[in-house]
Amino acid sequence: MGEYKSARLDEVFNALCDPTRRAILARLTDASARVTDIAADFPISLNSISKHIRMLERAGLLRRSVSGRDHVLSLDAEPLAEASAWIERYRRFWEGRLAALDTYVTSKKRKRK
Amino acid sequence: MNAAIAPATVVVRRTIAASAEDLFDAWLDPEALAIWMRPGGIRKTTAKVDPRVGGRYEIVMQGDSTFPHTGEYRVIDRPKRLVFTWISNGTEQRESLVTVDFLRTGRQTEVVVTHEQLPQSQRTSHTNGWTSALEHLDEHYAA
Repeated sequence: MGEYKSARLDEVFNALCDPTRRAILARLTDASARVTDIAADFPISLNSISKHIRMLERAGLLRRSVSGRDHVLSLDAEPLAEASAWIERYRRFWEGRLAALDTYVTSKKRKRK
Repeated sequence: MNAAIAPATVVVRRTIAASAEDLFDAWLDPEALAIWMRPGGIRKTTAKVDPRVGGRYEIVMQGDSTFPHTGEYRVIDRPKRLVFTWISNGTEQRESLVTVDFLRTGRQTEVVVTHEQLPQSQRTSHTNGWTSALEHLDEHYAA
């Protein structure tokens, strides 16, 4: 399970470290959109946009539904929640450690005086 | 959506009334680590360090179970910057990277911890850190 989760987390992080892919996600925050509409928003080829979209789908960040000839994409924010759980755990951990470092170093200094 | 740009990175900072040297040294001293690297629920921490670039450390936190943390020192620039890898159950035994910066502000020092999850494709060569990793990823996907 851990293996699966971290592999997916890698895909999420990789997917997010490209400005075009972030822009695609941003475009889908408010409403779903057709692939062709998204492609029209970006000054790159439909082929490149499709590649970006496939990466986002692999990371589980996008859902695709097909109605007739239209492929409609919508945002799935759940993988982002996994990523933010990792962040939250380490934020709490390091905040606690820095507080303890503060206590340790400042009390040691007082004792020395 | 821009909030999701850097989900891979945790930055925590704290200004402490101590010198950068004293604070820096507490990161590489096993006796000091045993005291302050002990989160709630942990009864005992033991640390072994080999404080040179390429040297490894092991910090074992014992509570209801045992939580080993291991890694390798990448940058040791006293008293300004310390960079080491970090592998634990929390990272699912994958390598992550911790950078600690010590910034003097008058008689105080601001300690900034940046903890980054490393992209898989960069795990073997990440000495230049996250920025370089991002550049490589961009190149990779642009190809």
